[in-house]
Amino acid sequence: MSDTFAGLANALGMAFQASSREPWPDDEFETWGRRVFAYQFETNPVYAGYARKRGVTPGSVAHWSEIPWVPASAFKAVPLVSGDPSRVQRVFRTSGTTGAGRRGEHHVLDLDLYEQSLVPNMRHHMYAGLTDVTDLANGIEVADATAPTPIFALAPGPADAPESSLSYMLGAALDVLSKGEGGFFVAPDGVIDTAGLSAVLEGATARGAPIILAGTAFAFVHWLDWLKEQSGGFDLPAGSRIMETGGFKGRSRVLERPEFYSALSEAHGVPPEAIVNEYGMTELLSQFYDGPAFATPGGAFETRRHVPPPWVRTRVLDPNTLSASPVGEPGLLCHYDLANAGSVMAVLTEDMGIAVDGGFRVLGRAQGAEPRGCSLAMDDLLSGVPS
Amino acid sequence: MKATFDAWWLPSSSSESPIPTPALARETIDVAKGVAVRYPVWTDDAATWLLDGLSEAGARLADAPVHDVLSGVGRVANRFLDSSDPIRSRAIDVLVPTAGISKEMASEVLTGMARDWTAERLSELLEREFPDPGVLDEFCRLDEGRTVRARGPFLTLHVGAGTVPGVSVTSMIRALLVKSAVLLKPGLGDVVLPVLFAQALAEEAPELADAVAVTYWPGGSSLLEGLALRRAEAVVAYGGDEAIASLRARTPVTARFIAYHHRLSVGLVGREALTTARAPGVARMAARAVSMFDQRGCVSPHAIYVEEGGAVDPGEWAALLASAMADLEEDLPGGHLTASEASAIHQVRGSAELREASGGGVRVFFSDESFWTVILEDDMGFEPSCLNRVVAVLPTPDLGGVAGALEEVGGHLQTVAVEGAEDRLPMLAEALSQAGATRVTSLEKSPWPPPWWHHDGASVFAGLIRWIDLEENDLEGD
Repeated sequence: MSDTFAGLANALGMAFQASSREPWPDDEFETWGRRVFAYQFETNPVYAGYARKRGVTPGSVAHWSEIPWVPASAFKAVPLVSGDPSRVQRVFRTSGTTGAGRRGEHHVLDLDLYEQSLVPNMRHHMYAGLTDVTDLANGIEVADATAPTPIFALAPGPADAPESSLSYMLGAALDVLSKGEGGFFVAPDGVIDTAGLSAVLEGATARGAPIILAGTAFAFVHWLDWLKEQSGGFDLPAGSRIMETGGFKGRSRVLERPEFYSALSEAHGVPPEAIVNEYGMTELLSQFYDGPAFATPGGAFETRRHVPPPWVRTRVLDPNTLSASPVGEPGLLCHYDLANAGSVMAVLTEDMGIAVDGGFRVLGRAQGAEPRGCSLAMDDLLSGVPS
Repeated sequence: MKATFDAWWLPSSSSESPIPTPALARETIDVAKGVAVRYPVWTDDAATWLLDGLSEAGARLADAPVHDVLSGVGRVANRFLDSSDPIRSRAIDVLVPTAGISKEMASEVLTGMARDWTAERLSELLEREFPDPGVLDEFCRLDEGRTVRARGPFLTLHVGAGTVPGVSVTSMIRALLVKSAVLLKPGLGDVVLPVLFAQALAEEAPELADAVAVTYWPGGSSLLEGLALRRAEAVVAYGGDEAIASLRARTPVTARFIAYHHRLSVGLVGREALTTARAPGVARMAARAVSMFDQRGCVSPHAIYVEEGGAVDPGEWAALLASAMADLEEDLPGGHLTASEASAIHQVRGSAELREASGGGVRVFFSDESFWTVILEDDMGFEPSCLNRVVAVLPTPDLGGVAGALEEVGGHLQTVAVEGAEDRLPMLAEALSQAGATRVTSLEKSPWPPPWWHHDGASVFAGLIRWIDLEENDLEGD
């Protein structure tokens, strides 16, 4: 009756691969959600104890939304493994950019399941329509090009950053979706290989076939600064697209998003609708895109929204009561991600968002108008302490 | 329909030229659902007019007897303490949404603050701080060969933190006592009391009110801030470490700079207080110390170290504290939290629950209906609280070891509230003072320091005044 991890992961992977982009019917997600919760309750005694204290057991759950979430910060507090901890294949760690302190850890039991979630999602948002951009603009998805599209990453490669889930994801994209074409242009110490990236972008421009440029917003800002200093820029082939991810949390240089996008667009000769934001976190093995590339006419921010893949559902919760926020009201994003079968599927983030048709809009980290409390928060205290 | 509070008060008769403020643009910030704070956007001309007027008023104020200042301020204080005065009910009504506190808390905080603004308390403060308060009016011969006078600045700039309502009024009053004109920029959470105080001062003591201007602006954003930093003789700043560093860097070297940066406080409960008779009462005092100001004050404890070996062990005491926190939530309810404040508590609670479920000695107590949270830790490791009534109970084999554990945060340490350990207090205070603490008190007294306290270790007026020594000629000449 009860699942083994291998059996569950295998079934989930097949369901992900077989899935179209349409949301799964409610009863289908319900069935999967209960199955994953029952498995996690049985195999993760810490999580089971937590759920029990909250009065929830697999038998008591009437709807998937009752499955107990854990806060994202719990990944810093205890190892969250649903299954045999000795079979953990990889530990991804959060970047810990906001001062010292503990880093979040995601113990991953099955990297294949991660790939089975990330690859189709990324293919849909970043790779589809590469043979005919005009088709995509009309909402028609066409088959992959026969010639692979290279991906150039403003991030360290997976060998250099084995703890980065983003590097892993980009590595999988390079291997599977770009058939090995492309490369990584950030050294382990964070230094950008500007000369190398310039050379490949120039080469791609000469060839005339579209490419994908992907990286963290923070790295892009430094890349843009460098381009400006060199008075450099590119006119990338039509259909090229950019994936940017991550905010500027804890960083000294901050750019507003419209300013950032117009700088990206100008420096690379791509229209704003070619730029896609990926919203992801170490604690989740599925991601959200505000694409697909070229799907938002003019790339207007008002019409952009992040759409979960069918195996993820996102709730927006009132920060005070934690009940569902009314539609159109901001709240904390709480994700139920079936790809997290090996850890905990329901994760309450510190990010504010608004539910919109078929997805949500990210408003950023929950913030007050002005910090209250003359006492200090952990980050403030530790920012002055060398780590 | 949105309610808007105008976060400024400007002197009306401090200059011959008419007030240019109607010409100033206004901006608003939403501070709660349906409630906004409005503030003027200062132009160069208007800012110069204001600072000129305040400097003139400061020069006039310098000649006023300190007794007149004391009684003028005292009359306003009495009105804020008088429950039949409409200004008190207005203050409480507007504090609730703008400061994010409950009505009960607003009332308690206003009473506690205004008590220190009365003529009696201020007189006591002056007596403690000056050998003869007359030195603020004229040269006084203190003893053989020692004739001195004290003068305050013509103009002080006060930048408030917005943490605890009323703190910036106290700061304003202290400057007035040394006869300085005041330009006050309150923090967003503390705009109400300074504005209402200045309004009442204009009614009770117009000559004092002429030397006071209150206006909010988002920190670092206003042209007035830059001009005032260049013109003020003294800058008094409350705030986070970053805000203080920025103001300090922009204050001219000739100006005095008095800063109150981030601080944190803790409680200590010794085994003497952990008898079955005493422990519940100590828990009630601790609950009050933590919950007052919704823990946003620098005097608010982040954690309570509880000694092992008493009749009531730290785990049992944590349960008593939780029950006292729940009771106090009825009498003194918590305020409305911002999304980030509420979010931080959900993260802390959930993580603590998982640590509890993973075994070890961690236990977490809270109620789903409110935000108070007690976390019994299984070691002595100190971590700052996310505030708003979230407190850690840290079991400790011996209170003597706490000072050492706090050394890491010594630069930010302020109040240590001790219960029990009466015989060991001198020794503990010695060690805590070495670790950086500037106040050792009881849990009961910790929310309300006396008016003369050495806030963050400094004398109340030391930074504000300059002493002038009049050295006498030796008439005998041989």
